[in-house]
Order: sequence, then C-alpha cells, then structure tokens
Amino acid sequence: MTAFFSIYKGYFRTALAIQFQYRIAMLIWLLGGIIEPLMYLVVWRTVAQQQGGAVGDYAVNDFVVYYIAMMLVNHGTFTWIMWEYDHRIRMGQFSALLLKPIHPIHSDIADNIGYKFLTLTVLGPTAALLAWFFNATWQPDLWTLAAFVPVLFLAFLMRFFWEWTLAMLAFWTTRVDAINQAYFVIVLFFSGRLAPLDLFPQVVQSVAAILPFRWMLAFPVELLLGRLTPGELLIGIGAQLFWLIAGYLSLQLIYRAGIRRYAAFGA
Amino acid sequence: MAESPVIQIDELSKIYTVTEREAGLVAAMRSLVKRKTRDVRAVDGISFSVSEGEIVGFLGPNGAGKTTTLKMLSGLLYPTSGRATVLGFRPWERNRDYLRRMTLVMGQRNQLVWDIPVIDTFELNRAVYRIPEAEYTRTVGVLTELLELAPLLRKPTRNLSLGERMKCEIAAALLHRPWVLFLDEPTIGLDVTMQRRIRQFIAEYNQRTGATVLLTSHYMADVEALCKRVIVIHHGKLLYDGDLSGLADRFAPFKTVEVELQNGAGGRPLDRYGEVLVQSEGRITLRVPKVETATVTGRLLAELDVVDLTVQDPPIEDVIEQVFSQPDGATSHLPGTVADAPFDSQKQ
Amino acid sequence: MRYFRLFATYLRLGVLGELEYRANFWINLLQSLLELGVALGGLAVVFTHTDNLGGWQPDELLALVGVYFLIGGLIRTLIRPSMSKFMEDVRQGTLDFTLTKPADAQVLVSIQRVEIWRMVDVLIAIPVLSTALLRLGAQLGPAETLTFAVTLLSGSLIIYSFLLMLSTCAFWFVRVENIQVIFMSMWQAGRWPVSIYPAWLRAVLTFLVPVAFATTVPASAVSGRITTATLFGSIALAAALLLVSRWFWRLGIRFYSGASA
Repeated sequence: MTAFFSIYKGYFRTALAIQFQYRIAMLIWLLGGIIEPLMYLVVWRTVAQQQGGAVGDYAVNDFVVYYIAMMLVNHGTFTWIMWEYDHRIRMGQFSALLLKPIHPIHSDIADNIGYKFLTLTVLGPTAALLAWFFNATWQPDLWTLAAFVPVLFLAFLMRFFWEWTLAMLAFWTTRVDAINQAYFVIVLFFSGRLAPLDLFPQVVQSVAAILPFRWMLAFPVELLLGRLTPGELLIGIGAQLFWLIAGYLSLQLIYRAGIRRYAAFGA
Repeated sequence: MAESPVIQIDELSKIYTVTEREAGLVAAMRSLVKRKTRDVRAVDGISFSVSEGEIVGFLGPNGAGKTTTLKMLSGLLYPTSGRATVLGFRPWERNRDYLRRMTLVMGQRNQLVWDIPVIDTFELNRAVYRIPEAEYTRTVGVLTELLELAPLLRKPTRNLSLGERMKCEIAAALLHRPWVLFLDEPTIGLDVTMQRRIRQFIAEYNQRTGATVLLTSHYMADVEALCKRVIVIHHGKLLYDGDLSGLADRFAPFKTVEVELQNGAGGRPLDRYGEVLVQSEGRITLRVPKVETATVTGRLLAELDVVDLTVQDPPIEDVIEQVFSQPDGATSHLPGTVADAPFDSQKQ
Repeated sequence: MRYFRLFATYLRLGVLGELEYRANFWINLLQSLLELGVALGGLAVVFTHTDNLGGWQPDELLALVGVYFLIGGLIRTLIRPSMSKFMEDVRQGTLDFTLTKPADAQVLVSIQRVEIWRMVDVLIAIPVLSTALLRLGAQLGPAETLTFAVTLLSGSLIIYSFLLMLSTCAFWFVRVENIQVIFMSMWQAGRWPVSIYPAWLRAVLTFLVPVAFATTVPASAVSGRITTATLFGSIALAAALLLVSRWFWRLGIRFYSGASA
C-alpha cells in the first residue's frame, strides 16, 4: 500500500506538470464540461418558467441546482481514456506502458485525478458564478454532504473501470470513435444529464435503474439536492458497489484478452 | 554545365527560439505565466553550390542542421538570414512551378495514406501535381520496374514492411519527375539489402534523368556508393566541402599500417612505431601520423620479419566519427578545416 | 475547377478507405440514430411538460433538429476529419508533404479526408426535415427556398471558417485536436433555438462560436421567422470569416515556416 502511495505521488507530480504543459487542452476539456449542463439547465429552466415555475416536482431553482451539481459530479467522474487508448494503440505507444512493472491503469487514474484537482480551481468558481447568475439557493443536510464524499468516490471508480474497459476495445477495432460517441449518447440519456430522470416516462426510469450510468451521475446529484431518503442512499451505494465489482471484473477479463491480442498482432 | 548552379546557398542561417522549462511543479507553474526562451543556431552561415546532375552527400551528426537546411531548400522554412536559390527560385516563396520541380523524401515520415492501397496515393499525387495521364502511366511503369513495386501497389500502406513502404514513398515522391531531389535519411532503419536497392535506384534515377540530388544519411555506405562530393556540417557550420576521398586527407592526419610478422612480435615493444590499434597473433595494426608513414614502414621492413604490409586510409566512418567527436569549438582547430585552410570546395 | 477534381479524388479515396472499415457504416448509422434518438427524446421529454419552447412549436424544433443534423453531417463528413488529419500532420511533421505540393495548401488541407459513412447524418436529416416541413404545412415558395439555401450555405461557410481558425492554432499549440471535442459539445447547443439562452450565452453562441448561424438561422428561414437583417448579417459574416480565416491560415503557415519568428 505504501509502495502504491509513493508511486501515485510520483504520477501526480508528472501528471500535474504535463497538464500545465498542455494548458490549452486543459481549458478545452473544462469548457466542454461546462457547456452541456449549462445548455440543459437553460432548456429546463425555460420550460419550468413557462409552466408557472415548476415541472413535475422540480421548481426553477431545483433545475439550476441540479445542473450545477451535475456539472461538478460529471467533472469529478469523467474520463478521456477511450480517446487516449485509441491514440496509444494506433501510435504504438502502448508497448512502452507494458514495459513498466506496474499496471498502466494507475498512471491513468493519477493523471485523471491530477487533472481534476487542477481544473477544480476553474470549475469551482464557474459553478459559484452560475449559481449567482441564476440565483440558486441550496440548503444541504449535513448527512447528505457526508455521504456525498464516498458516493462520489465510488462513482468515480466505477466510471473509471467501465470506461477503461471500453477503452480496451481499441485492441480489437481500429476506429473506436464511433463506439465512444455511441457510448456517450447512451450515458447522456440514462444518467440524468438530458433531464432529471424523474421527468422521464416510467419505462426509461426503470431501464436507467438497471443500467450503471444513473449511479455514476444522477444518484450523487440527487443526493446533493437532498432528494434521497437514507434508504434510497443505501440502495444506491449497493448498486454502485455492484457495478464497481462488475466493472473491475470485466476490466480484468478484457485487459488480459486485449494484451493477448496485442501480443499476437504487435504494435 | 557552365550555367549557374542548380542549388546556390550564401551565408544561410536559421536561428530557432526554443522554450525551456526546468523539471518540477514550481517551474511548471512559472511557465504558465512566462516561458523562458533561448536561441539555437541550427544553421549558422553556410554557403555552397550544387551543379546540375550532381549527387551530394550532406553529412553531420544529429542536430547538426542538415534537416533544417533541407527544409529551407524545400521551402518549408524561412531562413533567418542569407540567400538561397534552387532552380532559380527562392524556395520559401513556394512558387508552384518550383514545387512541381522538386521533391522531398523523409525517411522517418510517411506521405502515403495509411489505409488505402499505394496506387491510390499515387493517383492522389497525380491529381495534385496535375500529371498528364500518359506521362503518369509511363512514370509509374518505369518506377515499378526499377523498384520492383508490382506486388506492392495494390496493398494498403499499413500492410507493407518498412522497406517496401520506403520504396513506395520514394516512388510517390518521384511521380512528377522532379529535377531536384532532397532525400533526408532515405535508408534509415532499412536492412542492408534494402539499403543497397534504394541506393542503386537513386544512382540509376540520377543517371537516367540527370536530376540533382542532395542526400543526408547516417550510413556511410550510402554516401560512399552515391556521392563523389560531400558537404559536412557540424553545429550548423560548414566544416568541409569537397571530394569524399579528400575527407580522410583533411580530417585524419593518420594512416593505418597493417603488418604481418613471421614470428609474431616476440615481445618487442611495437609502440615505438606508432599507436597499436589491434594486435593478434602475428597481425598488428598501427596508427601512424601521415607524414611519418614512409619512415615508419621503412623501419618496420628493416627491423622486423615482415611477411605482409599494407598502408590504408582509415575507414570513412572512423574519419567522420573523429570529426564529430571533437568538442564544441575545437573542430575549427583541426588541421585543414575551413577555419585555417583556404576554402577550396571546387578543387577538382 | 481543378480543386473540384482534387476533391473528387479525395472523395473516391475516402470511399475506398472507408470500405476497408465497412463495419463503421453500421456503427455510424447506429450512432447517428442514437443521437437522433437523444434529440427527439429530448424534445419529447420537454414537450410532455410544455407545448412550446420559447415560442418555438414542436414541429419548428423538429425542423431545427433536421438542420442541425444536416450541417452536423457536413462537419463530420468533411470538415472535422480533414482538420483532424491536418492537426495530426502538424504534430507528426507530415504536413511538410502537403506544403511541398504545388497546390493551395489551405484547400488541400480542407478537403483531404472524407469520412463517407458520416454522411448518414445527412441521410437522417432529410426525412426529419421533410417531416417537419410537411407538418408545418409550410408553403415553400422560390423565395423561401432560396433564403433557406443561402442561409444553409453561409452557415456552412461560417462553421468551416471557424473550425479552420481553431485548427490553425495547431501551429502554435500542441494537442489542440481537443478543440474539436469542445466545438462539438458547443455545437450541441445548436439543437435548441438560441433565443432561449440568456443574453450572454446567446452572444457567445452567435459570435464567439457561431453555432446560431448554422442552425437557428436556417431553421428560422424554414419556419418563416427570419428577418432581412439576419439574412444579410449571415451572408456578411460568412464572407468576413472566410477572409479572416484565410488571413489567419497564412499567418499560421508563416509562423510554421519561421517567417514571422
């Protein structure tokens, strides 16, 4: 464990340094993470205003808080690893990673976390600014805030494992771009980013509950909004743990198969 | 040819401004605000000219400024100062007529489109260079024959081996029958057989078309086979311009003397004849200052039981290595370098 | 004229290249259908809770979605792949080959890769747009058709110039290919009429990232709500951006070749 700690420390340092070097790219990703929630915030706020102040049990202010929270949670959990892997394998950089005496996922995790802490310095103020601009009011319970920390961490890990798994598809197909985008569309639909899941027909809500995506995004957001009972919180954590383990196992499986294939076909 | 040379360079210089950064987070933070810069003189006032039909080897260690010079000559880089004309054009104006008459091959980079058959990239170049159908067909035919491309043309680039790809790269670069060829490491990474094939082809192309070739390579075999004349640059400065054979005279004030002795050295100290490079059984290789060669061989023959004796110039690789291993600034003090000898590139 | 022939060659190569990856057709189709699903699903969810959005009727928004897919298809088929290739070339140094060709480098760079399967977006756009028009019962006379065509064309040119300028930044900065990711995420905002956004965001989407001119403006031409000022503004902006992007491109090339350094 301590060995991992020092390795991660090293990774963080280089990850931060690299992010600074690519400062423009850093801003670009960041902006992308702000636009989408902002767009849906505006759409739903408009609808709520037209409907006399509320849609379902979401008032105008609820939409504002929902999407600002969504922006933060998405920032905390998103990865760009699928594009990264596509690039690594096409450019033959993957072999270098394999030579290191450590699983490549660790540097990716460190890279990701390093990026996020760095960009929080921009995203935090942006969120505050949007809250001020749209007159958001938010009174969280203490226990939801306490629960939010582990929930967000679980969401991050499960999303990371699943998207890393998806990234491994680059071993089998040369153009994963389309798959990635298809994945993003599905996530958009079932994670509560398009609209709060409560506003969807019951069928969609049921499907969303079965799929992992809700538990990556909508669940932490709803927790922050104080819309969950302690019982629902426990169910959610259970679902997260289930998908986390499933993600871990599929990662192991597909990674091994991918390495075998990579070894067979070469760089 | 008595006419003006195909390539003419005067006092050409290129200075890059590079950003520097120290390791570490603090430095990274600092670089976010202000980046430290430093000037690098990649090419530092070189002059030479190349006549029509010549194949000139352009030598120098990594970072000597070879590629930068080639890039300036092919119109990709503006010089910081100095003049250059190729075929009467100033390259960096990138006149269409100039671009149509020259070509650039970079051994480390591909212009072939990765996913489609080679012949389709050729088609693309035909469209870009507006090569008439008949001429195109003929050129492809000739190149296919010379480079043995027939089995490769229908394959997608990604399925070719490195050597096959290079052959196709070269063919793609020659479809428009350029008059001037800039070849930057065309044989890099290839096996010996393939290097020889490419070499033969370049020589053949030069002979058939009379095209002018400026070639860089790390493989001295390429240079020895193709170039009568070499230009050596180091740290952006021109060190030597002249016959390949003159290079050894200039930079290696030594000869190697190989003697075979009847009864071996027999414990006699041999270093009084010269520096002993190799000693095995009865064979001894000595390095002897050029001026003393006659005296030393005389003494060897007189004092020892010599079965066989040969005097040679050191291998060209060793000469080159010796030139480049000089510490920075020291090169100009070598005997016979441009610094203290009169500049006599066109001595033959 | 010769650049049309060149484009035809690239198109042919695009078809050939993509034939190698036939599965991509199905993946793209799937992806486009999914995205259409999101667009229509989004509309459906919104319109289960309201009957108009900022004054736009459902069918007018459907027309907007059609335009969004049409222009999006153009971006994905030609502009984005070409620009990606260009930025990759800058990083790998293979742009040198393009620059040594005796043709206009900007044109070469802009048409150099065609991802033919991405045209499914266009194929999807046509029935969506037709449905919307039929349901709107819009009487598309020659004047309206012409206005629509003109706004579509100037919208496309605006987007092209804009993306070219973004990509040209590759001469100065590494890893700018991510700019396209950000653009595409901004581009999504065009699925909704810009009039619903707060003023500052509307300004951003109109002038900073000219999404509005490629989506909202042509769609409002179809639904007959376009003003003359908007129409001519769109044409003028297209012309201006073409010139500016051309200038910026040359600046980039000069920087790349060290002329301005």
